[in-house]
Amino acid sequence: MRPENYQAVQLGDSNEYEIFIGPNHPGIEGNYALKLLLDGDTVVKGTTDAGYLHRGFEKLMEGRLWIQNLAIVPRICVPDPAPMEVAYSLAVEEIMGIEAPIRAQWIRVLQLELSRIAAHLFTFGGHAATTGMYTPMYWGVADRDLVLDLFEDFTGGRVYSIYNIPGGVRRELPEGFLEKLSNLLDYLESRQDDYDNLLFTNQIFVQRAKGVGILSKEDALEYSVTGPNLRACGLDFDVRRDDPYLIYDQLEFDVPTQEHGDAWSRILVRRDELFQSIRILRQVITKLPSISGPIRTPIPNPLSWNVPAGEAYVRVESSKGELAYFVVSDGGDKPYRVHVRGPSMMHAVQTLEYLVTGARIEDVAQIMFSLDACPPEVDR
Amino acid sequence: MKKIDYKDKGSILNPLKNLQFFARKPITEKLEPRTASSTYRGFHINDLDKCIGCSSCQKICDNAAITMVEVPSIKEDAAKGIRNLRPAIDYGRCCWCALCVDICPTSAIELTQEYVHTCDGDDTDSYFVFPQEKGIHGLNFEKGWTKTKDSDLLDRQRRPMGEVKPDARINNFDEIVDGFTLKMAVEEASRCVDCGLCEDACPAHMHAPNYIRSIYEGNLEQAVEWMYETNPFSHVCGRVCTHICEDACALGRVDVDGKRNSQPIAIRWLKRFAMDNVSKTKIKQIAKKGKSRKRSGKSIAVIGAGPAGLTAAYDLAKKGHKVTVYESLPKAGGMTRYGIPNYRLPEDRLDQDIEVIQSVGVEIKYNVRVGTDISMKQLHKDNNAVIIAIGLQNGRSTRVPGSGHKNVVKAVDLLRMIPQGEDFNIPKSAVVIGGGNVAMDIARSLARLQKQKFNKVDITVSALESLETSFLADDDEVKESQEEGIIILDARGPKQCLVSDKGQLQGLETIKVLSIFDEQGRFAPKYDTSDIKTHSCEMVIEAIGQMTEVSILGAELIEKLDWNRGRLKIDKNGATSVNWLWSAGDMVGGPDVINAVADGHRVADDINKYLQ
Amino acid sequence: MNKQLIDYILNAVNDIKVTHKRERRIRVDVEADSLTTLLESLKGQASFLHLSAITCVDWIEENQFELIYHVWSYEEKCLVSVHTRINRDRAKFVSVYDLYKPADFFERDIYEMFGVFFIGSPRMEKFILTEWFGMPPMRKDFDSEAYVQETFNWTEYNPDWLQELTDQGGGIAIKPEDIRMAGQLHNMSTHRERESAKKDQVVGKGWKS
Repeated sequence: MRPENYQAVQLGDSNEYEIFIGPNHPGIEGNYALKLLLDGDTVVKGTTDAGYLHRGFEKLMEGRLWIQNLAIVPRICVPDPAPMEVAYSLAVEEIMGIEAPIRAQWIRVLQLELSRIAAHLFTFGGHAATTGMYTPMYWGVADRDLVLDLFEDFTGGRVYSIYNIPGGVRRELPEGFLEKLSNLLDYLESRQDDYDNLLFTNQIFVQRAKGVGILSKEDALEYSVTGPNLRACGLDFDVRRDDPYLIYDQLEFDVPTQEHGDAWSRILVRRDELFQSIRILRQVITKLPSISGPIRTPIPNPLSWNVPAGEAYVRVESSKGELAYFVVSDGGDKPYRVHVRGPSMMHAVQTLEYLVTGARIEDVAQIMFSLDACPPEVDR
Repeated sequence: MKKIDYKDKGSILNPLKNLQFFARKPITEKLEPRTASSTYRGFHINDLDKCIGCSSCQKICDNAAITMVEVPSIKEDAAKGIRNLRPAIDYGRCCWCALCVDICPTSAIELTQEYVHTCDGDDTDSYFVFPQEKGIHGLNFEKGWTKTKDSDLLDRQRRPMGEVKPDARINNFDEIVDGFTLKMAVEEASRCVDCGLCEDACPAHMHAPNYIRSIYEGNLEQAVEWMYETNPFSHVCGRVCTHICEDACALGRVDVDGKRNSQPIAIRWLKRFAMDNVSKTKIKQIAKKGKSRKRSGKSIAVIGAGPAGLTAAYDLAKKGHKVTVYESLPKAGGMTRYGIPNYRLPEDRLDQDIEVIQSVGVEIKYNVRVGTDISMKQLHKDNNAVIIAIGLQNGRSTRVPGSGHKNVVKAVDLLRMIPQGEDFNIPKSAVVIGGGNVAMDIARSLARLQKQKFNKVDITVSALESLETSFLADDDEVKESQEEGIIILDARGPKQCLVSDKGQLQGLETIKVLSIFDEQGRFAPKYDTSDIKTHSCEMVIEAIGQMTEVSILGAELIEKLDWNRGRLKIDKNGATSVNWLWSAGDMVGGPDVINAVADGHRVADDINKYLQ
Repeated sequence: MNKQLIDYILNAVNDIKVTHKRERRIRVDVEADSLTTLLESLKGQASFLHLSAITCVDWIEENQFELIYHVWSYEEKCLVSVHTRINRDRAKFVSVYDLYKPADFFERDIYEMFGVFFIGSPRMEKFILTEWFGMPPMRKDFDSEAYVQETFNWTEYNPDWLQELTDQGGGIAIKPEDIRMAGQLHNMSTHRERESAKKDQVVGKGWKS
């Protein structure tokens, strides 16, 4: 809402007052707003206000050719753009009835897991910053920069890789890439102690994060929470294992869970997931050189490409939760409808409003960051 | 991965652990821009010589960032498919997705490793860039994202056209080409990037991008409508056109690996497919569209019912004029019937084109020879305008010793006899002098006749040009004729025709050619006198070129007209120096069907303006 | 996946069409009246607790909206997409908020973007586009590209190189906004199209005449 349209309201004789947090605020992830009704320091009611990042992607995608959408699809989620591209490509492939070659699927897994590592490193920093610790943020961003260097190497772009295409990936991996990746994974594992000392076993952080924003298992199921937030409540569900796509059924990885469902458990789940991603990447590094073959199934000339009528619902595990794309084609050269279901649609709106009720104002920012809410996914 | 043990350990020495960081190397981000990776998607460069101005990059850009600008200093060449448009990019809209790089047919536009640009305040003009070889700031950065074989988005291979096998087709004059199925035609049409270079290259400017698109959408009647806007001889052109459009096609350029592996769209076969699959009644309806309802009261005579004459007649009849066509042979079509053999252009297809033209109101009088049965004077008296389009019906002679023998014949004469079923002595063995398409036509026709009569093919073709460098006939014709058993001897010139004492033709002597043209480009062949061969045969056929028989014009008219080195002089619209006479077709241009059609349109437009 | 249990639930509904698209994906088409009962039985009997999304598709030619409810069962590990059609004029439907709390978000989103009113949904108000008062924008009859052309200006650039080219007789030949009209890509690069565009000051004829 524009500031000039926000009406201040006199609430009468009470201790309650309403403040507006956002949209440009260090305590808010992205451009988002929260209207809090406070009684002293405790929040009585929280209302979210979105729309600052609305770019109209779903309508834009209906007006562009199938191939032109590849350039705008990654922009829906900023920290973790790779699952968006992969989900769109998988949906179009499913409607067309083709499959990407095996080598392309392994490379896609590599891209997805690297993107997950980058997103989690970002989140550590963000979450720590809401408790007043800024060093993990610098470390997280710096280490993420090394991951982005690798992205730049094989996809050509640091954040928005625009690397996937329905049918496969656009380019072969460069020479020596797997070695660089292996060195980076060694480096990240060597940093485990540093991060643990600074952040995860740091008593200040533990005291701040424990018991904040507790989400019980029943509530999580009721609000359709997915991803690390659900796993922190004790329910063991991961799209990669339970609704497998690409070649995840050939990989060995654990799905980490915690029991308490508070902010502390959520960040621990993310920490464990980061190391599981490293484990998956090591398997990819060993297996990938022995898989040869093309990296693209041919598709027709993109200027005259009519995808047959049909629809597909594709689910992918992004770093934030379950990301789903529903693509409808009517046989034309443009999508008829693309519906993006971002995981933050549940987390940043209803779950956030539920958890914020009764919390103290200093914990509001931490709740939002611990849920890893990403407003661009809500607004599209 | 270690499990977390977060219980309070509390030790006074804990902070001292942090001293280890003094020994570590920090991650430093430098202030100046660092070198990007080798696949980085940075700013654009464009090789202005490789770029052909097809504007595919503009069409695929999803942010509408590319504007095509006209660069007058680039020389346009429509026949080679080079246009003077070049892309300019708005960096306020570009997202550097590199789709333009991956779709460029000639790999001209590429991305570099450069990524820094700023502007002063409001001066955003510098964000509209015109990429050239040197990059937008003139600094030579390394190349970043360039097209590889994997990232290429275009479909570069043509759908193969089936042909009847040589041992089956040598027995008859049936059409060789199988034609596309609907599936193959749609796939072939989908390869088109809709650049329009074909339309600019075609002498008649046929709307090829539009009818290719209609075929892709499955709407064949619409495709035929687009074709009839510019060409009433679409059945014929769909089989025998010289396809200048395909030579200009953007897809027919150099492929990613630097070789010419990319094949142009099969525009001619697509035209054949659409015309064959729409009914004759529908085509007549389409041809009639736009016909004027009023009669103008003017009348025009056309001499020669070939493509040029009939196209002009078709246009003028649709404008409401009365048109009469005078043809000296028993059927219409000109060279398309009496020059092109049936296995390339079946007669019933040609008949259909002519029938459609007649159905808009053109009257053709057959077996009427102007100059004998009716004079030019009479035509001038009875009509407001006259078009002469009689083509090139006389064959040239090599005039080597012995070429006056009765068994030394011209290819055009024989080709005229074959469709009329006229008998001539089919020779058991023959030699054809000449290396153009007409030589191939007569060689392959004779081969079929020989196979039917003697069950054995014995034809030799001797041409001045060398097969590797400058052979005149199409590659397809050479390949197919060799498959049919014809022997082609290249780089050999005729020396003399050997006649026995009894007056029988025994054979042809040929001599090796060293060069054909001199330094100024004039025809002056040089021979190697040590390499002379004799080829025994019963008949020698000369197929070295053709000329027109102009005597039908009458001495008076020939006197009045302007000539240009033996050819009738015309202006750019086909008008001669006499104000009621126009000329079109092979006798003043071409020489092929599509140029004749284009001529016919120009002449008809000019006459229409003159008559108003 | 317990196929029998799911099939048993699905077959209990009248006028249902079941398509097994691939493993773990079932598409179900039902009438609008039986949708909530089906969702109830799926949730209650086969533990389809997770509402993944509610999608709305605008079939303007058939004058209908299609509502699709994607539900996932943690136990059966199967995703069932329940499709139904409602009338496009004065579109309304019953809310499933009492079954699935996340419906609040999706139904509010569909209300805002398509104009479908959900009876019983707690918050039928604008969320993302709070200051937009035009037609629900995701409908097919709202032409966003035309809105952009009317409301905003394309930047006019005049750098030096363009000035040079225009002086030599060249200059801008084809603008990108001219080849994109109402969702079509027009061919404007032949000489014929460019000449006719200059003469009539209109854009090229495009694919069809």
